[in-house]
Amino acid sequence: MTAPDAVRNGFWDRLQRIDRRWIYLVIWLVVMIPLLLPFSIKPKAMPPVEKLFNYIDTMPEDKALVISVDYTPDTQAELHPMAIALLRHAFATHRRVGVLATAVYGLGLGEEALRQVAAEFNEKAVSHEDSVISGEDYVFWGWSTPFLTVMLGMGEKITNVFPVDYYGVATESLPITPRIKNYNDIGIVMSIAGSSTPLSWVTYAQTQFGVRIGCGTTAVSAADYYTYLNSGQFTGMLAGMRGAAEYEQLLEDKLTAAGSSLALRYKATEAMSSQTAAHIAIIVFIIFGNIGYFVTRRRKS
Amino acid sequence: MNISTDPWVWIAAILTLAVFSFLYRENPFYRFAEHLFVGVSNGYAITFTWHRILVPYLLNPVGHGQKLWLIPIAIVGALYFTRFIPKVSWMVRFPIAIVLGYSAGASIPRSIAATVIEQLKATIITRASFADVQQGIWAVIILIGVICTITYFFFSTERKGALKPVSYVGVIFIMVGFGASFGYTVMARISLFIGRLQFLLGDWLGLIR
Repeated sequence: MTAPDAVRNGFWDRLQRIDRRWIYLVIWLVVMIPLLLPFSIKPKAMPPVEKLFNYIDTMPEDKALVISVDYTPDTQAELHPMAIALLRHAFATHRRVGVLATAVYGLGLGEEALRQVAAEFNEKAVSHEDSVISGEDYVFWGWSTPFLTVMLGMGEKITNVFPVDYYGVATESLPITPRIKNYNDIGIVMSIAGSSTPLSWVTYAQTQFGVRIGCGTTAVSAADYYTYLNSGQFTGMLAGMRGAAEYEQLLEDKLTAAGSSLALRYKATEAMSSQTAAHIAIIVFIIFGNIGYFVTRRRKS
Repeated sequence: MNISTDPWVWIAAILTLAVFSFLYRENPFYRFAEHLFVGVSNGYAITFTWHRILVPYLLNPVGHGQKLWLIPIAIVGALYFTRFIPKVSWMVRFPIAIVLGYSAGASIPRSIAATVIEQLKATIITRASFADVQQGIWAVIILIGVICTITYFFFSTERKGALKPVSYVGVIFIMVGFGASFGYTVMARISLFIGRLQFLLGDWLGLIR
């Protein structure tokens, strides 16, 4: 072995044995720096996101958007921006909204999303029509269990499943209730989940009652759900933080074109520069790791 | 820099850092955060179930002499707790049997319709599949992928003859699927990390708007 060969092999050997904590440190820096010094990225919507956005944008006015908060705080970073973007879209286009949670830990997140988006609209409201009012424009049904009973029961009568809303008000007394009685009044149920709950919505609500289902999922689950998108069982899909960013961009484009930009924070879009930088770093790691593996294997053989 | 003065933000930030400390090595701060999380989660679920389910739907109506038919149902449900009494622990089978029976009856026909029939229908190529050339090509690829992948999972016969190349193509489809899943998994984990950093740098330290 020549001296340069020894140096080269030493480098690859060291790379194979590198302490994983150095890799964590690099990822930490690669993610953190673009958050502090962001570079502009305009996400381009993929067909599953575009399809979902267009459906919600153009669905009949008498149909409501229902958001099922099926996620928990551990997947908040990926999924919460989806709920926020969907609520903004619904309120900006004066859709009625119903929100429920099939996971008890999702209740706080659902409430927070509704409170935040309602406040954003109410701050700019100049008339009663512009305001977003609980019980009139939206209802937060809260949580009930088991989810199977909830999904089947909502096809008959929603007030049977949720006699009181999250705040303890009798749902029968809410002005919005006569306009969202069951799935016949719902344009689409958006299941936002880090679990298989969107499939449960398809299995119970769609198979039995024919209601449209949209899916907002973590990137981990996205590959499994494309088959349901292909079969048309999902009207559209938001996959991970990138899906949320694409939806945010479509919403911002639409509102800007209409001259009513919300000028708000879009957290998923803001994260895209970090996401891109991290992906580049991971690709470099994979390339170097593979080269190192083959170089050391060849030498050993 | 505009550091938060909200004590809850500080608690969340410190706990986040305690969990991240595991990246360096196992330590008491990480273990404290982990145990706290398990305790708080269970406490929250139990409290919520008591206040939002048992009290309004069972205790209040029964306490006012209404919906008395809920009493035998509640007794059957309470049989879950016989698990803690070895002599009568066999009685836990009653509520389990009822839940299993109901769930299986409600799930099986709908699951077959949603995950088998509808998925099979989606692989069938019709003239409409070629309304758009690109869509037609994808429909053919999906059909080939489904057939080859299912062929790979024929374990009852030896892979030779025509079965061998077909199942080999199936393996390629499976590997592509694994690659897509891995790519998405990386994206997901990075997203979660970004979410925490947005909180630490933004909500806590005020370094980002």
